[in-house]
Amino acid sequence: MNLTYDALKITAGVVAMLALYSILYRENKFYRLFEHIFLGLAAGYTIVATWKDTLYPQWWEKMFGRVATADNPVPEPGYWLFAALLPIGLLAYMVFSKKHNWMSKIPIGVILGLWSGQQVQIWWNTWGPQLYSSMQPVIPTTFSSLSVPSTVEVVNGQIQPLAQPALGTVQQQISNNLYLTQALTNFIFVITFVSAFSYFIFSFELKGKFLHGVNKFGRWMLMIGFGAIFGSTVMARFALVIDRMSYIVNEWVQVLFRGV
Amino acid sequence: MTIWEKMQKVDRRILYAILVVLVCGGLFFPSTIKTDPDPSSKSFYEAFMSLPKGSTVIVQTDWTNSTRGESMGHFENLMRLMMSGDHKFVFYSAADPAAPQVARTVIARIIAERKEQGFREYKVGEDYIDLGFFPNAEATNTSMGVNLRAAWAKRMSKMPTGEEGKMKEVDIWQTPVLQKINKIEDVDMMVVVTASASIDIAIQRLANKVDITALVTGVTGPTVLPFYQSGQVKGIGIGLKGVYDIEYLMANGINDVKDEKGLAVVTWNKAGSVPKVQDGTTFARGRSYYGTLHVALALLILAVVMGNVAMFAARRRKGDQV
Repeated sequence: MNLTYDALKITAGVVAMLALYSILYRENKFYRLFEHIFLGLAAGYTIVATWKDTLYPQWWEKMFGRVATADNPVPEPGYWLFAALLPIGLLAYMVFSKKHNWMSKIPIGVILGLWSGQQVQIWWNTWGPQLYSSMQPVIPTTFSSLSVPSTVEVVNGQIQPLAQPALGTVQQQISNNLYLTQALTNFIFVITFVSAFSYFIFSFELKGKFLHGVNKFGRWMLMIGFGAIFGSTVMARFALVIDRMSYIVNEWVQVLFRGV
Repeated sequence: MTIWEKMQKVDRRILYAILVVLVCGGLFFPSTIKTDPDPSSKSFYEAFMSLPKGSTVIVQTDWTNSTRGESMGHFENLMRLMMSGDHKFVFYSAADPAAPQVARTVIARIIAERKEQGFREYKVGEDYIDLGFFPNAEATNTSMGVNLRAAWAKRMSKMPTGEEGKMKEVDIWQTPVLQKINKIEDVDMMVVVTASASIDIAIQRLANKVDITALVTGVTGPTVLPFYQSGQVKGIGIGLKGVYDIEYLMANGINDVKDEKGLAVVTWNKAGSVPKVQDGTTFARGRSYYGTLHVALALLILAVVMGNVAMFAARRRKGDQV
């Protein structure tokens, strides 16, 4: 058995993992102990990382400046205005005071103001290209071929791109035309999009068989979408289990018994 | 109690035990399963492989051990592609303080792997920069889009001094990695490896300034697909399938490697020939986990089918209306 630092480290990981998975058997103190260790470690790590990676270089050093060193021979002056950020930030903790909790709204207001100011541009950056790409043509412009012509050919049993100028001609045809299969794909997309969208119309009552039908179809499309998302989520959860088992089978056992 | 009633009342812990045994068994027999990678994975691979050698890439790594099963495979693939293409990269997290350390561990392992295989050793400060953690993804991405130099001001990086094993601390803007970079538009690609909505935030603030690709978990994937459809994201690897897809593409390329019949292993009519990765490891974690995932899914389907059959049979036996 190979009892190196690495082996002990991975063994500690395995013990912690088994402790956390023990909740699947039943509630127990072993699980609770490691749950608290995990939360404590995460909180401690966050504080150190926030100070080391952000507050120190972006606030403390800017406030105090930097003295010349061998690696950085040019000293930098400090800007004491950065000190004003501390009391503004600390005002957030006034939320715990019954008398002065209104003061906590000042930093929250600053954050909300900054966030709101970004929203117009962000809304367009998010949805603009999606709205544009949703405008799909649904009427085919050619019936010369049902589907998009191939840009490859089989030569001596091997697939190869078409030779020029035939390749250029075919590519030109593809970019200038909408083929039947493409139109069908676009039609399915547009129908799905419009019907799913119609499900969220609450401003007026939908009357008539047609509108009800579209609405119902939209609900079905949404359900199919949610089903696909759920399936993807299940696979993600399985991936976690597989990785944890791999941690034992491939990493722990190998380090412990083979010294790899 | 009939067999059907017993089947409906199987203790869930027995199912967990069966799952653990099957998954462990599956891990002993990694196999290469023939697949047709998703178009989004092909787009990712094509976009990445079309980067000129020595490009500069920003990697926003927003995953930790809680999604190791998928994200670690994604990150390992990304690092292998990066080092194989001789690209320079900067990595940071805007979502989780623990994420940079998890990324450091993977980078160190891939560097060691490639060194063992006889390839050039990537060095911090010369080939890549570790920027650490930035709290608040919204503010981080916004300021990166407005003024990259200001957003990353005061960040230091280790760099080899030239003497064996000795390092010095330098301002990141003095390193060769960021020599040609002044603004976000100068970066060749941004890759977001994430298990959260941080990809949405990056797209909202930076997609109109730099090409963004993403490697996301199965949970996040469906929410990112519309961004791929609209061209805001140039390519995505989604979940464990995405990990395996990228490995498969690294081994076979697109319209590149031929099978015994002379047909391309991976075909795609939206791209010409995209070469396979020429050096180093291709199949790794994805191959090991993908087959096992099938075993686990088979168990799930079997349990659902058996549970339903048992329920219907038990109701029929009791004379209930099914």
